[in-house]
Amino acid sequence: MTVSPTADVLIVGAGASGATAAKHLAAAGFSVVVLDQGGWTSQSDLPGDKPEFELLWGNHQWHPDPNMRSRAEDYPTNLDDSEQPVYMYNGMGGSTVFFAGVWSRPMPSDFRVRTLDGVADDWPISYEDLLPHYEATDYDMGVSGLAGNPAYPPGGAPPLPAHPIHLTGRKMAEGLNRLGWHWWPGYSAIPSRAHGRQAQCERLGVCRTGCVIGAKGSADVTLLPEALRHGARLETGARVARITLDENGLANGAVYFQDGQEKFQPAKVVLIGANGIGTPRLLLMSESARFPNGLANSSDLVGRRLMLHPFGSVVGLYEDDLEDWMGPAGTQIECMEFYETDASRGFVRGSKWHVMGTGGPLEMATRWQIGEGVSEEPFWGEQFTAKMKQAVGHSIDWIVHAEDLPEEHNRVTLDHDLRDADGLPGAKISYTTSENTHRILDFGLNRALEAHEAAGATKAWITFRNFSSGHNLGTAKMGDDPETSVVNRWGRTHDVPNLYVIDGSVFTTSTATNPTSTICALARRTAEYLVENRREQEVSTA
Amino acid sequence: MSITNVTIQPAAAPALTPRERERLALLADRLIAGGAGLPSASGAEVHTQWIDRAMAVRADLDGAVRAVLALEGDPAEVVERLQAEDPALFGSFAMAVAGAYLINPRIRRELGYPGPAPMKNAALPDEAESYLEDGILDVVVARGPIYRPTPAS
Repeated sequence: MTVSPTADVLIVGAGASGATAAKHLAAAGFSVVVLDQGGWTSQSDLPGDKPEFELLWGNHQWHPDPNMRSRAEDYPTNLDDSEQPVYMYNGMGGSTVFFAGVWSRPMPSDFRVRTLDGVADDWPISYEDLLPHYEATDYDMGVSGLAGNPAYPPGGAPPLPAHPIHLTGRKMAEGLNRLGWHWWPGYSAIPSRAHGRQAQCERLGVCRTGCVIGAKGSADVTLLPEALRHGARLETGARVARITLDENGLANGAVYFQDGQEKFQPAKVVLIGANGIGTPRLLLMSESARFPNGLANSSDLVGRRLMLHPFGSVVGLYEDDLEDWMGPAGTQIECMEFYETDASRGFVRGSKWHVMGTGGPLEMATRWQIGEGVSEEPFWGEQFTAKMKQAVGHSIDWIVHAEDLPEEHNRVTLDHDLRDADGLPGAKISYTTSENTHRILDFGLNRALEAHEAAGATKAWITFRNFSSGHNLGTAKMGDDPETSVVNRWGRTHDVPNLYVIDGSVFTTSTATNPTSTICALARRTAEYLVENRREQEVSTA
Repeated sequence: MSITNVTIQPAAAPALTPRERERLALLADRLIAGGAGLPSASGAEVHTQWIDRAMAVRADLDGAVRAVLALEGDPAEVVERLQAEDPALFGSFAMAVAGAYLINPRIRRELGYPGPAPMKNAALPDEAESYLEDGILDVVVARGPIYRPTPAS
């Protein structure tokens, strides 16, 4: 077996969390090795500047579902017991390659849901603990936004000015003002001015199919080049099979496959950043005599509490041409009016909304066909051109993200009948949307219909009521108690003192916000902890 | 030469035969009959040109398109029966036809969608402020904070 020199830190996964940690640890002088099962994605290969971009997004090569893509670097997921598909992208930059760049912070109450609302668990850390890391990673990812949002405590301004809210945001803002509801210009990890390695956004509106001009805060554009500049070693096509332990129970590296060869990367400290599906899969694959139930799984919570964070959407049509394709696609305005718990609504916690660009004409054709109340209307034949003329350019799309509280039966386990290209087991997903999450979504979608009416929509309908967001969270819970959590407040596993989890799997609760900002903040916080405690950190010497 | 009269060569999959294209024109026009200032599917050259472009990037739709083209009978009845009895096959065929129709730059222009592909359109220096300069955010700010602060431990 090929063995490389020992790294100070081995990071598994080059997505948002792994790239964040790699940049900061390499910059602090650590020798860093990052292993990722995928490769680099060339901007010239991405669909977004091609006439067929909408068709390409749905094809097998670029589909957000790894089962549909079925690339060599993808591992299979068994969805037989899951209400939802599972979306992810495996490669340098991870799912940030395809995310919309929505950059959303949780509220302070998100970290205290047990104390304030009597549900789930408090996080062991607070909003204030994470605030400096949010502000630092805002710079890392080229975040644009407007300071002074009354939905949040005071803090530093985003590093770049807000994007225009455009005609869609303006139209909806006028409606929300009529209702007296909160709104604010959206925050995006997309620079409104050139920023570091990132180009200024050109507003193509294709963020979700990958940014073709290198503007969006994809980790492969923003963070990994910095990690390389500081000396990190990034290995592509390197699929980790298991984390290994020495005789003292300390992590001492990882066995991985690359080009069909089994290799070993020794390390003093191991960080896992494979997110809510890949991280529990790897921990469960790393079972041993010491950890027969899976590595770092003495709590039996590895893989449990999966939160797929479903969303809903409501599209409205307007007389005015609103140029609804205009980017950045992620968010023109956001609304936090229904974020906090109001017991009179019949559920706990709430939802975060944002207006997104609807997309191209084929997306609009799809919206006509899947909408509640409109899918039964005639669409083809004589109706097609009239309905498309009515809708293309004239729509506003509300996205409603519900908080998805953790439930232990929602989980990731191994499927030994499904195998990836290296013969490793697939991930079996068991997920049912909870009654509380359904109620949050139903309430939010009905209010969003009212918002469209207030904004003057001629027609509005629900296009998604409960659909996977690609936010895969919660499967290695953060907490103070080793019996009821997998990692501590610094992301260190309770069972293995030099093994850390730094991705969305540590989320104690999902929050109702888009998670990448928090994932990056948590990863940076762990990296800073490692730097500050380097002399006290237990490491394997085997 | 304008973008609208470039002849596109398919990148993959055997081309449809002339007979298949004739059949496609009839069936596709049942899906997109035209109107509201826009042509029918055949009027937009779906069957002669744009179907090749669509199927070149969506090989997964190739089988569905050919299967539907092989169905015999009156085009209106074929489409109606397909939609009622095999929604999945109908959906794949409709995706191919609509996808081909909607990548025709002439159709995009008529729909008001700019350019043959997403167009660069960087914001002007004061554009963001222009949407807010009449104080539209003032009422939001005036209502004050809406978050619950971290409780004292």
